Amino acid sequence: MNSRKRIAALLVVAVASFFAAIAGSVNAARAAGPTLTIWTDQSRQAAVTTVANQWAAKNPGVTVNVVVQSFGNIETNLGTVDASTAPDVIVGAHDWTGQLAANGLVEPIYLSAAVKKEFPAYTLNAFSYGLAVKKLYGVPTQIENIGLVVNTSLEKVPTTFAQLEQEALAFKHKKSGNLAIAVQQGSGGDAYHMYPFFSGLGGYIFGTNSAGNLDASNIGVANKNFLKNASLIDKWNKEGLINAAVDSSTAQNAFIKKQAAFWITGPWNSQLLSSSGIKFTVVQMPAIAYPSVPFLGVQGFMVTKFASVHGVDALAQDFVTNYVSTPAAQLALALANGRFPANTVAGKQVHDPVLAQFGKAGIGGVPMPNIPQMNSVWSDLGAAWVKSTKGSGATKAATAFKAAARSIADKIG
Amino acid sequence: MSATTAPSSTTPGRAPRPAVIPRLISAFSGAVGFAVKIALLSLMNGLAVWAAYVLVSRSHWAAVGVLVAATLLIDLLYMRQRGTIPAKFLIPGTVFLIGFQVVPIIYTVEVAFTNYATGHIATKAAAKQQIELTSLQPPPNGRTYTMAPALDAHGKLVLILRDDVSKKDFVGTPKGLTPLPAGVVSSRAGGITAAKGYTLFHGLALFNLDKVLQTYIVPVGKAGIRPQTTSTAVELEPTLRYDAKRDVFIRISDGAVFRDDGKGEYAHGADALEPGWKTGVGFKNFSRIIHDPLVRQPFLRVLVWTIVFAAGTVALSFALGLFLAIALDKKGLRFQRVYRSILVLPYAIPGFLSLLVWQGLLNDQFGVVNRMFHMHIPWLFDANWAKVSCILVSTWLTVPYFFLVSMGALQSIPEELTEAARVDGGGPLQIFRRVTFPLLLVAVAPLLIASFAFNFNNFNNIYLLTSGGPPQANSSVAGSTDILISYTYKLALAAGKGNDYGLASAVSIIIFFIVAAISAVSFSRTRALENLA
Repeated sequence: MNSRKRIAALLVVAVASFFAAIAGSVNAARAAGPTLTIWTDQSRQAAVTTVANQWAAKNPGVTVNVVVQSFGNIETNLGTVDASTAPDVIVGAHDWTGQLAANGLVEPIYLSAAVKKEFPAYTLNAFSYGLAVKKLYGVPTQIENIGLVVNTSLEKVPTTFAQLEQEALAFKHKKSGNLAIAVQQGSGGDAYHMYPFFSGLGGYIFGTNSAGNLDASNIGVANKNFLKNASLIDKWNKEGLINAAVDSSTAQNAFIKKQAAFWITGPWNSQLLSSSGIKFTVVQMPAIAYPSVPFLGVQGFMVTKFASVHGVDALAQDFVTNYVSTPAAQLALALANGRFPANTVAGKQVHDPVLAQFGKAGIGGVPMPNIPQMNSVWSDLGAAWVKSTKGSGATKAATAFKAAARSIADKIG
Repeated sequence: MSATTAPSSTTPGRAPRPAVIPRLISAFSGAVGFAVKIALLSLMNGLAVWAAYVLVSRSHWAAVGVLVAATLLIDLLYMRQRGTIPAKFLIPGTVFLIGFQVVPIIYTVEVAFTNYATGHIATKAAAKQQIELTSLQPPPNGRTYTMAPALDAHGKLVLILRDDVSKKDFVGTPKGLTPLPAGVVSSRAGGITAAKGYTLFHGLALFNLDKVLQTYIVPVGKAGIRPQTTSTAVELEPTLRYDAKRDVFIRISDGAVFRDDGKGEYAHGADALEPGWKTGVGFKNFSRIIHDPLVRQPFLRVLVWTIVFAAGTVALSFALGLFLAIALDKKGLRFQRVYRSILVLPYAIPGFLSLLVWQGLLNDQFGVVNRMFHMHIPWLFDANWAKVSCILVSTWLTVPYFFLVSMGALQSIPEELTEAARVDGGGPLQIFRRVTFPLLLVAVAPLLIASFAFNFNNFNNIYLLTSGGPPQANSSVAGSTDILISYTYKLALAAGKGNDYGLASAVSIIIFFIVAAISAVSFSRTRALENLA
């Protein structure tokens, strides 16, 4: 028995040390020079890898490590990732800026005046945040916004909102099952897709203070101008122009199956539209009482605080500030994702007509507020729309939106 | 009579079966068994060594201590020849229980007593560093430079700078900026390539300067020129000054003092500097549940609906499942296997998928249910109908489970009892009520309680179907069909400023106590049923 135990103990030690050797060699096999770790999502992986490798070729000795994460997880994981596996550069949406900056996870970026001129002011504002001192935290690469897609073989492109209303309702009454305007809500609501209506009636989310920063205490969800026009929502609900029961798949199916002539959606469906065989045009929704501008979504690259921990701060800043901002890289990154590039010089080289139409539909648009308080707004605003457009038994719009404004104010505190 | 005895073999010709198990046991004893034990132990130790290596490289000393102690203890227990046999069976389950249940609970309790939320996730040192970095501002008419780090004639690190606008050249040191005459610096394509009298850095040497460059400042008046990328530098001036003795930040423009206010941030009155840091706040999260009207007001309503939802789902599913099990329990029923397979289908389809499909089916304008029966019931848009929909869909998903469970439990009831009852003159309903059902309940009661606890926290069934339901008329975070856990989720992520994990953890602990209390009471009551044996 004793010799057995000895053999057993020896075997255990042997296997254990074997594993230790593996662990040690894995760690030793790290690259000799500095490594730049980039987090990106699946759709952009190829483009980011190409652009990063082109940059690395100009900086021999640097290794680039592109890691794929699901887009939403990039923001949440950045807060909990361990420093040894953390990224130095991330791809992100502009509305993450406030949350990431408030958590101290991203570094300020300084662009030269010449480079700043190549970007529309609102794209740089979208990535700027700061309570006291407003700083730029990201270089924008692409912009996107929703627009009104019109099936031109069914109805004419409307130039006024009255024309849109008339055409949509006429189409709805042609056959049972037709939708007037296919805009998605669902029982959870969708404030993003309803924003053109909201801004057209005079609504806004947060006002700006004298310094030009978003002011979370100035909530425009139920401001005077909007309430004056809110009765139009009740009218639309009664005549069935908008229906909260329509969700994203219902809206999409209705348009593709020609049961709706008007669809409010974004460039993520441009492939679907082009391959559907439908003749369509994308325009900005006609003004109601004010221009019906959509929300603008800007995506870009940010440098994380882990770059300085890893000793690649200057390199990460060089990649993002000096390389990703160039028109060539901008074009490559934006087109790989099917979106319009943020850099205006790159934008002139985009020849895709659908993308250009979506771009025109976004003129005058409002970037989604990027302050952390925005979280409270989405559900309340979406709920107000659902309550006032759910058909019979809907609440009066003025009441619903006033309640939403109160709830948002309570939550922000 | 306990209903957990193994079913007695009813068919003849099964005699060889009992011999298989002792044969297996004897096959794994002796040398073969010993070898398997050593192999598994070696594997475990190897993984423990690897884990210890990773933990040591990240300096998690407490975790290393726990890991080493646990591994040694497990080795000791398994190497003893006799004794500790119960421990040998219980260890794997216990390890997983501690790892996946106890540790997360301890962590949740720890978070509930902190202010872990957006703006408070860093450590104090990291927050201080980030505040200093983000409080820098380009001065009015601040300049940007093309830069190249270099060694001067004495071997000291300097920055060769070219003003982007005026194109004048300078050399910068920690003592200040000195202009360079024209012609000293040569550049190409927007980068500095050479400077007479200075040795420029290139390639890896340049990249390895990173940590030094991060703190290199060339003072210019009140501002300083700081390197930003490998080839550019920016003039920045601080707007805050840190006083290490008093641990405060002082705003340079008006002298306002930002103190550590004990809540994890530097604050001057109501103004706070971002980012803050994570710190303990005692019972503040728990008192918020009681005092904050935003959190407290819907709590009772949501609690009542959660209990109704869980109890209703379990009761309805059990009743239907039992009914189907009894109906299909007939001996000699044709296509019995087919019926059973169909009835188990809702359980087999992934819940995520079926819930989203049901959401489409119950759409009141375009859904199949309303269209097929020519109804106009607002399944998901009316507060009360949404509650009915939640219970109905949840029941649809849970019936197969209780069907299977009831089938097994029914078969374990000895036939002699029902025979005896029939002989004594009992009708079928009486037999069910007095004989079958109590015996069934003894076996199924723990499962009923477990299913109740599961549905109490059934986030998926509620959130995927209604997202918490049609919004309430009065303003609040909770919708009409929100249960406690989805309400907690909304509180944590959709209220106020970003994510509030501290509050969410505190509410989770409250939920845990509620569920534990209900389960404890139920368990003690069902023990009374076991006295029937």
